[in-house]
Amino acid sequence: MMEPLYVTGDTPLHRLPAWGKLLALLVAGAGLFVLRDPLWLAFAFGFSVVLVWSTGVAAAAVWRQVRGLLWVLLAVALFTGWFQGPLEALAVVLRVAAMVGLALAVTLATRTSDLIAVCEKALRPLERTGLVDAEKVALALALTLRFVPEIWRNFQEIREAQAARGLGANPVALIVPLIVLTLKRAQEVSEAIDARSV
Amino acid sequence: MLIEFDQAVVSTPQAEVLRGVSVTLAERRIGIVGPNGAGKSTMARLVNGLVVPSSGSVRVDGLDTRQDLKAVRARVGFVFQNPENQIVFPIVREDLAFGLKRLAPDRQQREARIDSQLARLGVGHLADRSSHTLSGGERQLVALAAVLVMEPALIVFDEPTTQLDLRNRNRVRAAIDGLPHDAIVVSHDLELLEDFDRVLVVRDGTIAADDTPAAALRWYREHCG
Repeated sequence: MMEPLYVTGDTPLHRLPAWGKLLALLVAGAGLFVLRDPLWLAFAFGFSVVLVWSTGVAAAAVWRQVRGLLWVLLAVALFTGWFQGPLEALAVVLRVAAMVGLALAVTLATRTSDLIAVCEKALRPLERTGLVDAEKVALALALTLRFVPEIWRNFQEIREAQAARGLGANPVALIVPLIVLTLKRAQEVSEAIDARSV
Repeated sequence: MLIEFDQAVVSTPQAEVLRGVSVTLAERRIGIVGPNGAGKSTMARLVNGLVVPSSGSVRVDGLDTRQDLKAVRARVGFVFQNPENQIVFPIVREDLAFGLKRLAPDRQQREARIDSQLARLGVGHLADRSSHTLSGGERQLVALAAVLVMEPALIVFDEPTTQLDLRNRNRVRAAIDGLPHDAIVVSHDLELLEDFDRVLVVRDGTIAADDTPAAALRWYREHCG
């Protein structure tokens, strides 16, 4: 089952239509690449923090979502700092952090079903080409979002179980059961979707 | 609702799971019991068309599950043992809305239908909750509500109380008892089936006993206990 990012609420960000938020995110994402000055990027990052805070999400929940990213940011900072200098490293880190913050704010304040509905609508014109089935793409997107946290949780459970058996460092002992479990769960979920006559 | 199994065989490369089952089911509440691996769940899945017979046929209100699959599924809802598999979207309301889009294109109509089914099961307060924060019983009730919004005439339950504690088991049991729908319930929870109209005992891919709950459950305890 999916552990949602969405936080129930009635904040201004919640009230904005999903398409508006996605469009704004798209424009802001592109805009961040135009900005070079770390001061402006710091301002953008600060703004994204305020947006995240405005959704009413608990700080601990945000920490759970972003803590894995800190290592990536650190690696990016070190790499960029080594080759392009500290100022450019700061700009890159602030840019990525601001983008993540903005994306997080949108997902915290928008239901998954609304996001998927927007994607479905956006893909509708492509259906005329006969190459795209918007409904199926939307369902695939929903299922992807559903399975990502679940696969991660399964990975952690298997790792614990294997560690308890003294197999903690064996990648095969982790990957094989994870693949089997994921395929089995995918089969069960697809059966459930079929049974619901969707 | 009339369900007719006519020499229904289900085979896998490893084994014959059901061996030429022929039975007609028309009662409002039908229970299916049997040992693990006997073919109970396969029999239940045949009714919804999740499994189609390798030979023979299964008809629901005259509709062949192989040829009229869509129409069969519109009539027959299915509640799985593990509600986690059944819940796709993270928020309860979103999950119930999934699949309703075609049946009720109008959003307000859809929301009204969702609220009414959740309220019927006494879980209206869960509508805007994250499904991962619910208890096992609440999840099973939400999974049932997701089936009810589709307005099937018959609901098949595959071991609906197996993973539940006593309190949640009683909640789900009360919910099943209160449904006006026809129901087929596969269960190891024999108490759940005691007030049913008919109970089938499935053993080794065949119907070994088919009787009133008292007689069928007695047979089951004597021969499979």
